[in-house]
Amino acid sequence: TVTDESSLPLPGVNVIIKGTSTGTATDFDGNYQIKANSGDIIVFSYLGYITQEITYNGQTTINISLAEDAAQLDEVVLIGYGGVKKEDLTGSVDLIKSDDFNQGPVVSAQQLISGKVAGVSITSSSGAPGEGQEIRIRGNGSLSLNNNPLIVVDGFPLDNGAVGGSRNPLNQINPNDIEAMTVLKDASATAIYGSRAANGVIIITTKKGKDSEFKFSVNTSTTVHTAVDYVDVLNGDEYRQVINNHPNADAQTLSLLGNANTDWQDEIYNTAFGQDHSISARGNAFGIPMRASVGYTDHDGILRRDNFKRTTASLNLTPSLLDDHLKFEINARGNYSENFFANRGAIGAANTFDPTQPVYSNDPQIVSQFGGYNGWYNPISAIDPSTGLPVLSQINLATVNPVAQLNLVDDVSEVRRFIGNAKVDYKLHFFPDLTATVNVGLDKSHGTGRTITSQQMPTSLLADSWEIWNGSRSTYSNTSTNKLFDAYLTYNKSINETHNITAVAGYSYQSFEYDNYSYDSEAEERDIRNPDTDIDFEFIDKSKNVLLSYFGRLNYDYKGKYLLTASLRADASSKLNPDDRWGYFPSAALAWNISKEPFLESASFINDLKLRVGYGEIGNVNGLGDYLFLTRYTRSNSSANYQFGNTFYQTYRPDPINEELRWEVGNTINLGLDYAFFNSRVFGSINLYKKKTENLIAFSSIDPFTNFGSSIDRNIGDMENRGVEIALNVIPIQTDDIEWSINYNIAFNENEVVRLPFNQEVGGISGGVGNNIQLHTEGESPSSFYVLQQVYDANGNPIEGAFVDRNGDNIINDSDKYLYKDPYADVIMGLNTNLNYKKWDLAVVTRANIGNYAYNNVASGNSYRDGAIPTSNDFLWNLHSEYLNSGFTDQSDERNFMSSHWVQDASFFKIDNITLGYTLDKAIKDVIVRLYGSIQNVATFTEYDGLDPEIPGGIDNGFYPRPRSFVFGINLDF
Amino acid sequence: FMFSCHDDLDQSPIDPDSFTEEDVFVNASEARSALAKLYASLALTGQQGPAGNPDITEIDEGFSQFSRMLFNLNELTTDHAVVGWGDAGLPDLHGLYWSAGNDFTGAMYLRLAQEVSFCNSFIDNASQLTDPEVASYIAEARFLRAFAYYNLIDFYANVPLATQISTELPSQSDRPELFNFVETELLEIQDDLPSSNEYGRVDQVAAWALLSRLYLNAEVWIGTPRYTDCVTYSNNVINSGYSINTNDVNGNGTAYDELFLADNNTNGAQDEFIFTLNFDGVQSQTYGGSTFLVHAAIGGSMDASLFGVNGGWGGNRTTSALVEKFEMGTIDIDELNNDLGGTLSNWGLVGDATENAWDGPDMEMYETSPNQYSLYANLTAGDFKFRFDEDWGNNYGDNELDGSLEAGGGNIPIPADGPYLITLDLDNLTYSITEVTASGDMRAMFYTDGQNLEIESIGQFSDGYAITKFKNVTSTGGPGNDSNGEFVDTDLPVIRLAEIYLNYAEATLRGGGGDTGLAVDKINELRTRAYGGPSGNITSSDLTLDFVLDERSRELYWEGQRRTDLIRYDYFTSGNYLWPWKGNQPNGTSVGSFRNIFPIPTNSISTNPNLQQNPGY
Repeated sequence: TVTDESSLPLPGVNVIIKGTSTGTATDFDGNYQIKANSGDIIVFSYLGYITQEITYNGQTTINISLAEDAAQLDEVVLIGYGGVKKEDLTGSVDLIKSDDFNQGPVVSAQQLISGKVAGVSITSSSGAPGEGQEIRIRGNGSLSLNNNPLIVVDGFPLDNGAVGGSRNPLNQINPNDIEAMTVLKDASATAIYGSRAANGVIIITTKKGKDSEFKFSVNTSTTVHTAVDYVDVLNGDEYRQVINNHPNADAQTLSLLGNANTDWQDEIYNTAFGQDHSISARGNAFGIPMRASVGYTDHDGILRRDNFKRTTASLNLTPSLLDDHLKFEINARGNYSENFFANRGAIGAANTFDPTQPVYSNDPQIVSQFGGYNGWYNPISAIDPSTGLPVLSQINLATVNPVAQLNLVDDVSEVRRFIGNAKVDYKLHFFPDLTATVNVGLDKSHGTGRTITSQQMPTSLLADSWEIWNGSRSTYSNTSTNKLFDAYLTYNKSINETHNITAVAGYSYQSFEYDNYSYDSEAEERDIRNPDTDIDFEFIDKSKNVLLSYFGRLNYDYKGKYLLTASLRADASSKLNPDDRWGYFPSAALAWNISKEPFLESASFINDLKLRVGYGEIGNVNGLGDYLFLTRYTRSNSSANYQFGNTFYQTYRPDPINEELRWEVGNTINLGLDYAFFNSRVFGSINLYKKKTENLIAFSSIDPFTNFGSSIDRNIGDMENRGVEIALNVIPIQTDDIEWSINYNIAFNENEVVRLPFNQEVGGISGGVGNNIQLHTEGESPSSFYVLQQVYDANGNPIEGAFVDRNGDNIINDSDKYLYKDPYADVIMGLNTNLNYKKWDLAVVTRANIGNYAYNNVASGNSYRDGAIPTSNDFLWNLHSEYLNSGFTDQSDERNFMSSHWVQDASFFKIDNITLGYTLDKAIKDVIVRLYGSIQNVATFTEYDGLDPEIPGGIDNGFYPRPRSFVFGINLDF
Repeated sequence: FMFSCHDDLDQSPIDPDSFTEEDVFVNASEARSALAKLYASLALTGQQGPAGNPDITEIDEGFSQFSRMLFNLNELTTDHAVVGWGDAGLPDLHGLYWSAGNDFTGAMYLRLAQEVSFCNSFIDNASQLTDPEVASYIAEARFLRAFAYYNLIDFYANVPLATQISTELPSQSDRPELFNFVETELLEIQDDLPSSNEYGRVDQVAAWALLSRLYLNAEVWIGTPRYTDCVTYSNNVINSGYSINTNDVNGNGTAYDELFLADNNTNGAQDEFIFTLNFDGVQSQTYGGSTFLVHAAIGGSMDASLFGVNGGWGGNRTTSALVEKFEMGTIDIDELNNDLGGTLSNWGLVGDATENAWDGPDMEMYETSPNQYSLYANLTAGDFKFRFDEDWGNNYGDNELDGSLEAGGGNIPIPADGPYLITLDLDNLTYSITEVTASGDMRAMFYTDGQNLEIESIGQFSDGYAITKFKNVTSTGGPGNDSNGEFVDTDLPVIRLAEIYLNYAEATLRGGGGDTGLAVDKINELRTRAYGGPSGNITSSDLTLDFVLDERSRELYWEGQRRTDLIRYDYFTSGNYLWPWKGNQPNGTSVGSFRNIFPIPTNSISTNPNLQQNPGY
């Protein structure tokens, strides 16, 4: 029988004969049976308890009492500048450890926890390899500023912007290096990070060395990416029929029609392959615990020519000296990635290029000028001496051949990033309650890139004379340098195990420096640069900002039952006017461990029950421009100069100025309950929150006679986010052979602009010029769709040009627009399950969003018959198949773009990932081999008409489709 | 360490493209770049051409360009223009049903107010400089501010008068106050401005010309007629060094079209330009300005390459009301051929450009002297060759299209339908093709092929004649500087001498005490240029107010003045004068007279509680 220290039986304990795969597990009464030979070592292990080994020498019964592993039960959760035991948490914090991470071809860290945490939505911004993800914790709290959470890696807060040429700032970390991710959601938890944490914090802890012999882990996988579906546009035959019956089609138009049946999307997408390899070693080298890893990733995109390659290397050293009084943590991470960015202009072009045209043409002039890429060309009044034919020019406004767009533009970049920090903890010898910590870090990214457009590109500029087709070439280089210096003292005291105090006080300095440089090298390359007229080919963009902080936090608990956390942070940002730059942001939280109360001690099915309440204020200037309070002048570039006499002068423009900018402040109140029942087989949490953002910074109108622009970023409104989050984990089966766990989370969130003196149109769409489809306005969700109300006939089909005259003035115009839905989901759910049966493991990750709407710009932009024949009658334009349903004709009536008809319910249920694995522990001696197969983006269930309902921002246009990926991988541990 | 870090909070710009006031106003030469912005903000839309770093963020950047908005507010609202695009708020303009939230009326307010702010800041900062040329800079800035206010009075009537940058919200002024400000400023600076300046910058004459405009509209704006002052200042301009361009460089019979060509800063037209907005297809790019005027007017069967651009945007046309103001000349092909004085020969034209296509019979040419042949002929777009006696045994074409003929050479293209004079020189084996324009008023620059005179549907480019006035080709037929044909070089005259002639005539007729004989002479100067001779000249009995208004249409159409002119005659909103689709009715209808003034933008009213909306909105 296996029992715990209080002699209660422990079910489910693993009992294994060391070095073999022979093993069993204890039953519900803690009993077990196993066959063993004398001399065998029997290993007893159970999560949360210290593993014991007993040498078998013929006993019939071995009773064992396993001791709780304090380190695990009192699992420390990082909360910034220190950690607390999980049971002592007072804020809304989620910890996801590597065991719970999503499986499959995970290229960037965010994907590891997608769908796992209530209230955290992670949306990939496209289907390109290595592409960024939009992370939102509890919705959008700001209008002008960015809504990205702060990401802290091993105590180092990363810069949340991506350096130019980089697809995603978090690409820089190899997902295999990550041990755990902690999500801090409410302000009482994040306040200690101050103004950078206004949108929540994700703390990433990487794997560290262990004080043991070296262990190695090798992971390798191969991926096949395939396109799931194509945009439904007319095919060649359908299109020919439309044009042949088109009332605007004259003989000239009809003569443009071709005989081909080209599926342009088939021409630009392909099946793509990817591979990921990593190897890591952890152990003790020369008395220093260390871990080192290298990783390599190479993925093609389904858009032809798209490619992402990455090499990562990391090293962690955690030496400690002076009887652990002096502890070091040194992290160094290097990364080199190479990108080939396929020209995404091809995506939209494939939807509109006439499907009756072939991809290539044999016309000698087209071959000579454009490498044979067929297209819409007009002869101009010059003769090409090499062919004797008139020179051709791409027709203004006509679609450029999508295949030419892909093949004739080389857009490549290389990005290097180094993130390193060194942290020293010194526990004072003479006063061991006090620990002094210094953390210094550097995050430096350097990206360089080149965009080379071939001279055969149809849109290539015709140079001074038609003989020289330019192409174009531009080079850029961007560097961002983020420096950190933290110093703080931690005081830790327990008085009679009754009063437990932890206090932290410290100082932090962060600087962010950006140095961007771009260079138009074409003119120089061709040696035609004229120093008199060509003023400048270089564009330099530099800026620097500094954030300075003082912070303090007190954690107090009384017998572990009543817990208090209070913190105060003072932040100063160089982005704000010197008179207004300091902000003071307090927080406080209380928690009550009800399960530790005597009246619940008898209720043995309750393992944990904790009630929490917290309040915090956080300032925000993330994403705000630098120096906005100073009068600055911007000079013009070389194509916006002005002529006096015979000379072109650069112009200097004074920029809009706001001397009164101050902190945007979010106040959050959070009420939470953590629970664990039935031997913690059922556990989770419930949170209610309300965040009110005051002095909201929004880009809004000013009196134009008082400033140099008509709108500036200023503190003008209030916003509120409200919601409920429920997380439920159930382990329905936990037996010798089978362990089944289910994780379900659901979050209801509502964003509302509470105060905004001026409406703001946002959400530019394609169709017409400068049209916006969304509005920020008081009392509504930000980015609510602002549209004309479509009138439908008895069969539910939209009547073209018929809109509800909402203000009754007999004119249908802007004044009849109304607010209709918004792009944010009201409900976000995740449902995940893991099933282990003997050596098999199965994981399924699913997600659902409910109540999110999208503007189907792919359909709205191209569904009008007249749009198929532009007024100049010299080229053609394909239509979306929606035309076959709607029969809409009038492309020039821009009210049609504003129709509520195009705002469609994009609620969805997605099966993100299914992974099936099998572990071989005997195949190779001392090596555990796991083979797995995984499918990513398995299925989407939605009513939405477009390709994919999950559209960041809610405007579906030119979206790079997310592929369906099939992965096969092997993990080796030895 | 911590305290040095505190100092680190005081960051100032480190970007070499970003300057502070000290950098910009360090000397006159740097300040000139700030002065250039005051001009550029009326011609361009931001610090990156053609778009990307806009001055105004409330509207599409291309829409925010001053002269494009001037066209939208002052031409599109009238009988001069319609547009086929349906951009939100744009059809409201010709239909005269705009609301206070209209993006186009709103953006013009922002552009002009911003120009006032730019000028205020410039005047304030530049006055600390002592360099001698700065006095002229400041006077020019004051002129531009006065010009902005001239437009604000015209469009919005009741706007704040701001002469300094201040965060204090300004109070609302009215037309008499603003009028007084503009008048005082212009009178004050007339002597600070140089008597002549380099091209693109204003001089003394510009101040007089703007005064002439201001006084002409005084009766409408402040209720007090100032026609005598209008005559005085118009006279100053007439007697200045500016002159009407008579240099018909391209030899098409009139020097009028040279005013609107790519090289109008050098082809002679510049002598007539008092205040211009300068464009360049490479160095001063915008989607407004002349790029807009050229592209937007091309559509249907028009060949964009003949206009020096890479395509049409298929938007702007005109109404029959403008077309009918012109005396259209006719072309009598037979009479022209008679006038050649030659005899019919066996040399002829054959090809699908000719009346009998490739089959013949050929169109026979007149032999005017030995081996010299000529023919006036109506040709269609297509190709032709020269052939003797309807027999391919002896024919000429042109292989390189270089004007020299080869026996059995390639087809010679005719770009567009129309009457042409074809000549053939068998001695030198050369030929020429000249498009024949009708005599009569050659300012009537319409494209009619495939276009309907009357407009059934405003959205259809083919309804309404297209206008060919603005082109991106030089007077010698060369292309513009942007070899891709996207951006246009043509400068736009905001004030030119011809307008001042017409101001003089109108003020004289309205009792300003001018010399009627001089007025007739000046108008005849314009008409002589227009007709390529004296055939269109008038006598003093023709000179009526309505004639002057029509003459302004003929001379100045699409140059941004029509709405103001119609308001002066009380024709803009009233039923006294109707045009197609006025008030959104096919035959036109009157609208409320409150539409003589545009609304103050809703956002500006909400940001400044001192402002009251104009009546009617």
